[in-house]
Amino acid sequence: MNTQKHDFTAAPVQIEELAPAARFSLRVRPDGRAALAQALGLDLPGGIGDRTADGGREALCLGPDEWLILAPEAAPLAKAAASVYADAPHSLTEISDREITLRLSGPQVLDLLASCCPRDVEAMPEGRGCRTVYDSATVTLWRDGPTEFRMDVWRSFLPHVLGLMALTKAELQAGL
Amino acid sequence: MSRYRITGRGRVDHGATVSFTFDGKTYQGLRGDTVASALLANGVHLMGRSFKYHRPRGVVTAGSEEPNALIGTTRGPGRFEPNTRATVQELRKGLVTESQNKWPRLSFDLGAINDRAYMLFSAGFYYKTFMWPKSFWDKVYEPFIRNAAGLGKSPTEVDPDRYASRNLHTDLLIVGGGAAGIAAALVAARSGARVVLVDENPEMGGALLSDPAVKIEGQGAWAWLDDKLSELRALGVRLMTRTTAIGYYHQNFVALCERLTDHLDTPPANAPRERMWHVRANQVVLAQGALEKPLVYDGNDRPGVMLAGAAQTYLNRYGVRVGDNVAVLTSHDSAYHAAFDLADAGSRIAAVIDTRRDIRTDLLDAAKQRGIEVLRGHSATGTKGRLRIKSVRVNPVQGDKVGASREISCDALLMSGGWTPSLHLFSHTKGSLSWDADSNTFLPDRKTEACHIAGAGRGLWGYAAVLEDGVKAGLAAVEALSRTAQPRDLPVENDRPGTGVSHTELPTDRSPGKAKAFVDYQNDVTAKDLRLAVREGMRSIEHVKRYTTNGMATDQGKMSNINGLMIAADALAKQPPQVGLTTFRPPYTPTSFGAFAGYLRGETFQLTRKTPIDPWAEAHGAVFEPVAQWRRAWYFPKAGEDMHAAVARECRATRASAGIFDASTLGKIEVAGPDAVEFMNRMYTNPWTRLAAGRCRYGLLLGEDGFIRDDGVIGRLSDDLFHVTTTTGGAARVLNMMEDYLQTEWPDLNVWLTSTTEQWATVALNGPNARKVLEPLVEGLDLSDDRFPHMSVAECTVAGLPARLFRLSFTGELGFEINVPARHGLKLWEALMESGRAHDICPYGTETMHVLRAEKGYIIVGQDTDGTVTPQDAGLTWAIGQKKPDFVGKRSLSRPDIVGKGRKQLVGLLTEDGSQLEEGAQIVLDPHQSLPMKMVGHVTSSYASATLGHPIAMAVIEGGHDRMGEVVHVPMPDGVRRARVTSTVFYDPEGARLKA
Amino acid sequence: MLLIHCPYCEETLPEAEFAYAGEAHIARPADPSTLSDEEWRDFLFIRTNARGTHFERWRHIHGCGRFFNAARDTVSDRFLTTYKAGKARPDLSAVKEAAE
Repeated sequence: MNTQKHDFTAAPVQIEELAPAARFSLRVRPDGRAALAQALGLDLPGGIGDRTADGGREALCLGPDEWLILAPEAAPLAKAAASVYADAPHSLTEISDREITLRLSGPQVLDLLASCCPRDVEAMPEGRGCRTVYDSATVTLWRDGPTEFRMDVWRSFLPHVLGLMALTKAELQAGL
Repeated sequence: MSRYRITGRGRVDHGATVSFTFDGKTYQGLRGDTVASALLANGVHLMGRSFKYHRPRGVVTAGSEEPNALIGTTRGPGRFEPNTRATVQELRKGLVTESQNKWPRLSFDLGAINDRAYMLFSAGFYYKTFMWPKSFWDKVYEPFIRNAAGLGKSPTEVDPDRYASRNLHTDLLIVGGGAAGIAAALVAARSGARVVLVDENPEMGGALLSDPAVKIEGQGAWAWLDDKLSELRALGVRLMTRTTAIGYYHQNFVALCERLTDHLDTPPANAPRERMWHVRANQVVLAQGALEKPLVYDGNDRPGVMLAGAAQTYLNRYGVRVGDNVAVLTSHDSAYHAAFDLADAGSRIAAVIDTRRDIRTDLLDAAKQRGIEVLRGHSATGTKGRLRIKSVRVNPVQGDKVGASREISCDALLMSGGWTPSLHLFSHTKGSLSWDADSNTFLPDRKTEACHIAGAGRGLWGYAAVLEDGVKAGLAAVEALSRTAQPRDLPVENDRPGTGVSHTELPTDRSPGKAKAFVDYQNDVTAKDLRLAVREGMRSIEHVKRYTTNGMATDQGKMSNINGLMIAADALAKQPPQVGLTTFRPPYTPTSFGAFAGYLRGETFQLTRKTPIDPWAEAHGAVFEPVAQWRRAWYFPKAGEDMHAAVARECRATRASAGIFDASTLGKIEVAGPDAVEFMNRMYTNPWTRLAAGRCRYGLLLGEDGFIRDDGVIGRLSDDLFHVTTTTGGAARVLNMMEDYLQTEWPDLNVWLTSTTEQWATVALNGPNARKVLEPLVEGLDLSDDRFPHMSVAECTVAGLPARLFRLSFTGELGFEINVPARHGLKLWEALMESGRAHDICPYGTETMHVLRAEKGYIIVGQDTDGTVTPQDAGLTWAIGQKKPDFVGKRSLSRPDIVGKGRKQLVGLLTEDGSQLEEGAQIVLDPHQSLPMKMVGHVTSSYASATLGHPIAMAVIEGGHDRMGEVVHVPMPDGVRRARVTSTVFYDPEGARLKA
Repeated sequence: MLLIHCPYCEETLPEAEFAYAGEAHIARPADPSTLSDEEWRDFLFIRTNARGTHFERWRHIHGCGRFFNAARDTVSDRFLTTYKAGKARPDLSAVKEAAE
């Protein structure tokens, strides 16, 4: 982690709110996983924290029977899943509006996350994700690059999370 | 510059003067000075008055263990801090400092009368003095104690500074950047491990900063330090100075407090003052060194008396001689080096007074070369000088005999009673200590954490031994990390090894009972106090400590604990380990509240959740109330309205035409899967099998103990899909409970739970005209009563938005709850407001919601229930699926104590005089019984009802359901109210309005 | 703050992600109606309150969401092991030896 003084023309971190996308919570038992994967046209990774992406859709395994699915549009995905429900019972619940996604980036983004995440975020490999806490808010964290993250925050928790991030950003800009 | 400062010497910047004030007088110091070193450079030793006796006190140490030189510091407007240690506060431009515990001034203090009354203020003074008469407590004793108590003044303004916190994960944390810590880091850094090295001082180096003559690897100590610190930096070691490890917790969790701006003339904008680091380390090396002990003799607290090691630090680090004519009193070899360094720097050494007879010849030779007189086998028995030491009285000691005294003039007296390993952090881990009889001190023994202790912190002395030990600790840590490292030889020249002996009070030819021989400077505890405590029956060190307050000051006895223990053990005629050591607790040094609070203050103090409709409520003047983590609109006052008027208007408007309410905070859980209905049957009391898709039902959730946990309306959207609502505060708890049963009791069920609380914004529309408001906005659904009757649910379009529409009521009026995706919540609200304009639609808040539901006798879980209320108690027996074989809590409903007589049951109450009862008021049956009265229940809800024109209340009362029509009594401060027990349903008991 | 190994995530993570959930291995009776009042009372209220090894439940509530079991020493606060819900109590002799 780099906490040394840095180029002041570049912000230490960027915090952006992303436009809403279709988001689902998928729950299915192991024996139904393959059928769902086929219906959704998206491999469902088996290890917690693993991710896959295909054709604009993304899946993140959050629990032994739980995946977070992102898609450009909700309806086709819901329809595809419904078509295999009888053989592969599952729950596909739309949660597009439950969370708001932030994109966090910049040279000191790890410091930003370390301010309120007790988990060792630095050690999280790129291309993985997890559910964790940011201060007292449950969040889903996606690592997209060495200094690129996405964070899904429950809608009503967002002002609190952004308030904390603004404090940390100002602190990082102060350079101490 | 003052004659006490040696130009060019030390690590201060002689080219940069910094001015500051102390007690209103301006002084000049140098960049790199502490307040203490700068005052000493100006010849000022007197830095404060003591806490209890208001004795004049000078600085005794050069570090964070300082007990005497506690000052108030002002770093600009609003930035006052009491009890700052002058030895830690670095100079910055314009720093304003003041001494403490003095009135009217430091050199003349009226509180010093306490010192004259010394014989009165002995151990246990407060316990003994303020016993009786009892009536003296309020008027005499407490004001006296309050006035006298407290260390320094509390700040009166809100702290304007920012504070930060940060998590840090590392392979190895090394606490202490002295010789041992640096040696450990040098070894570990090359293994590829992530290494963090922290030190509480402004620079790394520890004792090496005070011992420049030592040579390591052929280099002078300071050159070697520069070299090695660069090497560590290059290897990626995180070096953190001004960073104190304040606490060591489970599994190598160490809290560090980093001081960022107190030393800066102009801190950068928005920079936090301090940052709390939460470090999780795989391995920890504790290399905290040792603290020097004072010797205990009459007058050992006079200004000018200080530790020998401190004087050596002031000389070598700050270029300050602590006096012109310096006497040295010691029982340890280390003090000789302070004497030699000072002599070489031009101070006269009045004498070295050594309590020992056998002294190393090389030390004696070196003293002789410098013309220093060494008095062997001597004791100190007194000092003179009012605000600064003038002389020390010394006597030869032969066995038990104390010989004739001699006065030695001096302007400073350095003392060393040996060194105590700094084991505070190790003690935080509950690591055990073992008594080392040779060195009369405790050493680390059994470890509970993955840590390694190195150097003087485990009793070693001399740089060669300490460096070698640091290397060893580094290697051990690296091995524990399953990495490899090479050992490293760090040869030392001009080393300063040493040994010493320990003492209780030094022998004296005077009455020991009259001696003011201080053990704990900060709390003014003397050796006499400790012996008195033992005479008065204290046996354990824990009792002695509390009775005398020894070691209970802000320094936690860093200097006093071992001396106190030795004296208590001597008084008890026991070995010190049998008497025991008190426990050190975090924080290691006093730490600001701000550092603990971090970001959690002001706006970010606590999480506040807001709904998508919250901005509208704010813009329309809503008054808010907190409900669980949410802020909810409480009522919407119009100009000139108070709460009562606003709520009455909102209630009337809703019953007369239409009211609109933001219900988004209701918990929502999607229960989906082929076994959804089976799961619902097992969780909730109600039967769900025959509830058709498109219908909803009031659901009641119990704990396994049979008590009501939550409730809410539950809609069945399809055979396999339920939309469950919970109370606002119960959302997370209910989901957790459901997950618990599903995962651990019924893992075979094919059903899944998803929280959708925040997926939906929910607007409740109530009143006889609710349908007229809603209908124009709805597509794809016939809202007529026969097609969409009370307790229906459907998916449709409302205001062009995809919606889940419920017909239900929590007001007793025709009601709907419209759920739309949260991002559209505000749009829905505004569309309904627009559509409702023709019907005088009235936005209402949680208070009106409460009144309207109470008029109908609908309960609020957590208000009318308290975790001991069963469905029968609440009059909800109708909600129990009696034919179901089982559900959570069912078995408890037939427990003898649940079916027995006399349970508190929920009823309505109407006062006979039409007054409003207070929620929480206790209820009695006979107001004339003697005190204490038997209380049979309490008021759970109470409101003024605008609809009914009189107040209504609900209450739980013993056997309440059998008391209908009876009068009960509610004693209040202004008289007893009579109230008649009624049904809980006060309005429209037939429910005709629901079916409109 | 403790570190807790989640047997589902197979990661050792900060306690802040977890919630305590009471004593482990107290299964809800298959048919509570067959239990006497005393048996039901014991199921509801009677707990071990162990000094030393305690079998308890935790939930990785801010993570994978799973309930799991743990053996923890209530004196030292040290976790001896964690294991998935539904698994039998593990033999702790080997774990304890390693911890000595």
